[in-house]
This record gives sequence, C-alpha cells and structure tokens, in this order.
Amino acid sequence: MNSLPADHAARQPAREPFHFSSSANLLQIGKEKAATLGEFLEALRRCPDGSIFQHTFRTLEEHHFIRQGFSNDFAHWAYNDCGEIGLGEKLSAIDVREFTSIADLRGRITATVEQHLQRNKDVAGRPARKAFYFGTSDTVVLPTAEVAHNLPEFVDALRRIAIHSIHHHFIEARLRLRLQSNDFSLWLEAGLGLSAYAARVNQIDIYTSTLEGVRQKIVSILEGALRKPLAATPVNGATQ
Amino acid sequence: MSNQSPERLNEMKSDDSSPVGVSAAIAGATQLGTPGLQERRRVPRRVPVISDTPPPPPPVPRLDDYGPIIGTAQLDEVRYLAEPLRGKSVKMVNSTAVGGGVAELLNRLVPLLNELEVHTGWEVMTGGNDYFEVTKAFHNALHGGEYTLTQAAREIFLAQSELNRKRMNFGEDFVVIHDPQPAALIESRKEGPGRWIWRCHIDLSNPHAGVWEFLRPMVERYDAAIVSAPAFAQRLSVPQYLFYPCIDPLSEKSKELDDGLVQKVCDNFGIDRSRPIVTQISRFDRLKDPLGVIQAYKMARKYVDCQLVLAGGGAADDPEGVVVLQEVMAEAENDDDIIILNLPPWSAVEINALQRASTIIVQKSLREGFGLTVTEALWKSKPTIAGDVGGIPTQVIHNLTGVLVHSVEGCAYQIRYLLTHPDLARQLGKNGQEHVKENFLMTANLRRWLLLYRILLGLS
Repeated sequence: MNSLPADHAARQPAREPFHFSSSANLLQIGKEKAATLGEFLEALRRCPDGSIFQHTFRTLEEHHFIRQGFSNDFAHWAYNDCGEIGLGEKLSAIDVREFTSIADLRGRITATVEQHLQRNKDVAGRPARKAFYFGTSDTVVLPTAEVAHNLPEFVDALRRIAIHSIHHHFIEARLRLRLQSNDFSLWLEAGLGLSAYAARVNQIDIYTSTLEGVRQKIVSILEGALRKPLAATPVNGATQ
Repeated sequence: MSNQSPERLNEMKSDDSSPVGVSAAIAGATQLGTPGLQERRRVPRRVPVISDTPPPPPPVPRLDDYGPIIGTAQLDEVRYLAEPLRGKSVKMVNSTAVGGGVAELLNRLVPLLNELEVHTGWEVMTGGNDYFEVTKAFHNALHGGEYTLTQAAREIFLAQSELNRKRMNFGEDFVVIHDPQPAALIESRKEGPGRWIWRCHIDLSNPHAGVWEFLRPMVERYDAAIVSAPAFAQRLSVPQYLFYPCIDPLSEKSKELDDGLVQKVCDNFGIDRSRPIVTQISRFDRLKDPLGVIQAYKMARKYVDCQLVLAGGGAADDPEGVVVLQEVMAEAENDDDIIILNLPPWSAVEINALQRASTIIVQKSLREGFGLTVTEALWKSKPTIAGDVGGIPTQVIHNLTGVLVHSVEGCAYQIRYLLTHPDLARQLGKNGQEHVKENFLMTANLRRWLLLYRILLGLS
C-alpha cells in the first residue's frame, strides 16, 4: 500500500465515514412443518416473513463456506428429501439479489412450487423422506469498532471484519435498503464517487463464491481502485 | 495454549512387558486375500498402555484463547453482544455436576459467561435413589421408551422438586433449567422478576405421551424453550429456539495435537500411518452399527487398501456393550487390519489422536441424537461418511460437508470412492470444518445464549 501515490484520488476523504456493523441471528422454530410438497406450499403462503428470510438469505450465511450445490433450504429440501430434481433446480436458481422485499421473494418461491405442482399432479401428496421445519430469525444488529474515512481504511477494515459483517452489508442490506445494491456499493458511489467500482462490487456472484471469496473479491477490486481508478465522479470538489 | 500433554505422553509407553491398566482389546490375525497388498508395512501389534486413572482436568480456557480459532472480529462480536448484559445474573440448574454432556457444556459455558461479566451460577438438583430412578425413567420415556407413569412417580418427582426449590433462591435475571429433572422448579417463578428458560437437551421427537403431558404444563410456564433440532420441537405456547449441541475446540478431545503425539498413539495401538485408516469412534452399541462398518470395510478392501479402527468405550460397565464387543470381534474374524479398541472414559486425547490420524471417519449410526462424534470428525477436517439419521444430516450435508449413507453397500462404496478421490475428500473435510466453525463450536453456543438473553430483555 505504501507504494501507491499519496495524492491518489481514491484516497480522498469520503463524504461520510463508513461504520461497519454486523448482525447476529437466533433461530426460532416456527409453527409450520411440511411433510409433503402440498403442505409445503400451504406453509409457504402463511409462514412469517422471517421464515422466508431465514431459509434464503440467512441460510447463505450459515453455509457461507460452500461454493456450489447450495442455494437455499427450500431448494435443498425439494431436491434431496422430495426427490423433485426439477423443482429443486428451479428453486435453486432463485437469486435473492433480485429481491428487495420478502413479499416479492415469497411470491416467486410460491409461484415456482405452484407451477411445479400443477404440472405434476401426483407429487403434492407424496410424503417427503423428511419433514421440512420452518424456522425464523430473531436478529440483533451489532456495531463494530471498524470505521473507514477513506478507501484505504475501508479496504483495511474489510480484511479484518467478521464474515457476518460481510453478509450484513453485502447481502442482507438489499432488504433494508429496498435497492438492488448493497451498503458497500452505495458508500463507494455516494461517499467516494467510485461508481464504476461500486457497480463491479455489486456484480460479485454470491452463489459461486464463498463469503470469504466475496471478501477477497471486494478487496481485490478496491485495491485496483487504489492503483488505477476507473471513471470516477468528483466528490467534495476532488478530481479523480 | 500448549498442544502437548507431557504427562500423558509419558504414560503412553508401548511396552509388551508392562500392560498396566490396559482396557483394550485388539483383534488381529489373518489378512484378507487382497491381491497386491502383501507388500505393505506391518506395524507390530502390542498391548497398548493407557493410564488406568483419569488425568487431572486441564485449565478452563478464557475467551481470548478462542481468538486464533474464530478470529478477533468474531470474538469482538461476542463481546458486543454481552455488553448490555454486563451485570445481569443467571442461574443454571441441572441434575449432575460431573459426567454427561450437560455438565461438560456447563463446565465451559459458565466460566465464559462470567468472564463477560454475565454473572452465572450453577446449581445441581439433589435427591435420593427413588427420585433419580423416576427421572431416569422419565428420560427414557421422553426418548420414546415404554413406561407406565404412576401417581407415586409423580409424587416423588414433585416432592423432590419442592425440596430443591426451597433450598435454592431464584432472584436472578435469568433462570435456565436444563432437561426435565428440574423442570418443576418453575413453581418459583412468581418469586422474582427473572426470565425462565427451559433447555431440553434430549430428543423429544417421539415422547411418551403420559410423561410429556405431565411436563408440558410446567414447560409452558417458561418464557422460552430451547431444543437441539427442529424435529425435537413440540407444539408449545412459548417460543422455541434452536441451539445446536457443540464441541469445545480447546477440549482434550478437539484441541490441536502435536503430530508426534498422534504418531505415539498410533504406534501404541499398532496402527500403520503409512496406509489409509478408516475409523469409527463410538461406544459398542448396536445402534452405532459396528458390524455394518466391518462389513462395509470388508467390501471396500476388495478394491482398496485400508485399515479399520473401531474405538470406543462402554463395554466395561454396560452388559450389552460386552456382548456387542464380542460380536464385533467375531465379525472381525482375526483380520490383522481391523483394530478394535475398548477405551476407558478418560481417553479423550487418544480419541483425538485417532481421529486426527484417520484418512476417513465413519459414523454409520442406525439411530442417533445429534452425533457429536461427527462434529469432532468434521472439526478435524476429516472426510466423513455417516448414517442419515438424527442430527447427522444437519452436520453432514450430502456431498458438501461429507457423505450420507443408508446401507452397508453405500458405506463400502463411499469408503472406496473417497480413498481414491483425495481431492474431493479434502474439499469435504474443509467444508465440514467450516460448517462446525460457523455453527457447532462452543463460541457459537455462547453467542446463542447471549442473543437469547438480549431477545428476552427486548434488547435486539
């Protein structure tokens, strides 16, 4: 880092510092339980939003170290315990990054299961090998001591923060922001004017990278910004 | 923290002439007629030497000791979680101070909570033989066993609970009651403002209806219940949380070991580390299917070279265990490469070393609670083949953190496959360790307790 030009644009102070947070979740066992795909569909319709969150967003955090073959709990159950490979694939292909509300995400999952059951009339009542138990998350947001006032500090902090913090800012943030973006990209764009880098960070594929991999990719992209910035919008009158 | 256990190293001398305090049986004789395997190195079988008394307990770890394992940032999260709870008080109550998983857990959890200034005490139920006979019967009945709940049993249970209730004070901010034995202490709830939590460690998926209906009204007076698996949850009017059982990465059974010690243990038991080692660690119990493991090994051995280690305990004080051990030795048919070890209960370091020396770990259970031996194997990054029962699939996600099997044939195939696909085996082991790190370590358990306290106080 010391070899980089000191007056580099990407080292300008940010408009606002970035305060890193994290979140901790406790799984509460829900009232819904499904022993067949028919029951599963009914439960999907009436379970609390926290259950949809738990089995899609949250499970990505619990299984953050797996790179392939795991997308969400619903897909995993349909594939492994119901033997419905086609349905498993379709549920697996649902990308939580496309959703900024749980209602929309629930709608897509429900519609996917409905369509499958309409096309395969005999599977709705077939017992699954194991029941699906719906859970829901109780979440506590935690502050951390990490604060970044500029890009180098941000990159340094990224290297240190817990993986839960990456999930909190990069994945869960979509629901909080109701935008198809994440806290990191928003700050890079609004705080530092690094729009192109913000976009590249937002394009990182969370389904083909572990969360540790996501961290490394963000760091790598931003180290690129510190070396040679892409097109950047001036912030606070600074030329980039 | 030192990885060495010099006292134990000294005790573990391999000496044919001094089999002092031995509690081990080794079956060995003719090898299978496996073509091409005649050249392998033979480690001479010796009578292994294990201390006949338990070693002194190691010092209790402090929170910072976990830093190298989970990272500073995660430790900081634990401290942040604890911050608003500083000065709060907790009373834990269970039915035994030594022995058993709950006492083992509390021995580590209570000091960590106190270090975080969440003042945590631990009290143990007292009672006579009649009381503990009733609670043992309740325990078995809640696991689904046959039982006739008599009025006398109810009265013994309630009377002893009342005596304990009068002996204890309940002014704490949180009262945590472990398992059914102390469940009736909830009668004291009205004496203080504290939140009451019932932590059920046992499998409630198929409880005896009479016993459960006796306990349910008590449980529904708590603020929250905790179970170890979603399938263990019952229909209750109070919130039920999921706390996975956990292992302590700094315990004798799970801590890092110096390779010299691992080698010493293998030498002591006559295990050849230059050849693949397939291991199942479990007590000699039919539900762990040790005969199925031997059959799977024999099938696999037609194609791949390996040794099989079956190590466990329970045969000394369990009449059925003795019978199962005899069956296991008969099934082994004097195969020189099947090493059967009946270990005393204080063999944690030896078990740790055996797991670390293994190429593959098998847990081919036919029925299982959570299966902490699987957690231990995954934590050591071992490719794990396990039965698809109980809490095992929560840990072993098929083809991602290990492989699940449903038959002897399936187990045999997976032994062959993983021994001949080391890259996949390595990846499974790596994923398995990460899975444990995220979900099944003592630090994750501590985090859950802090979260629950905050949630019950409305501090989320």
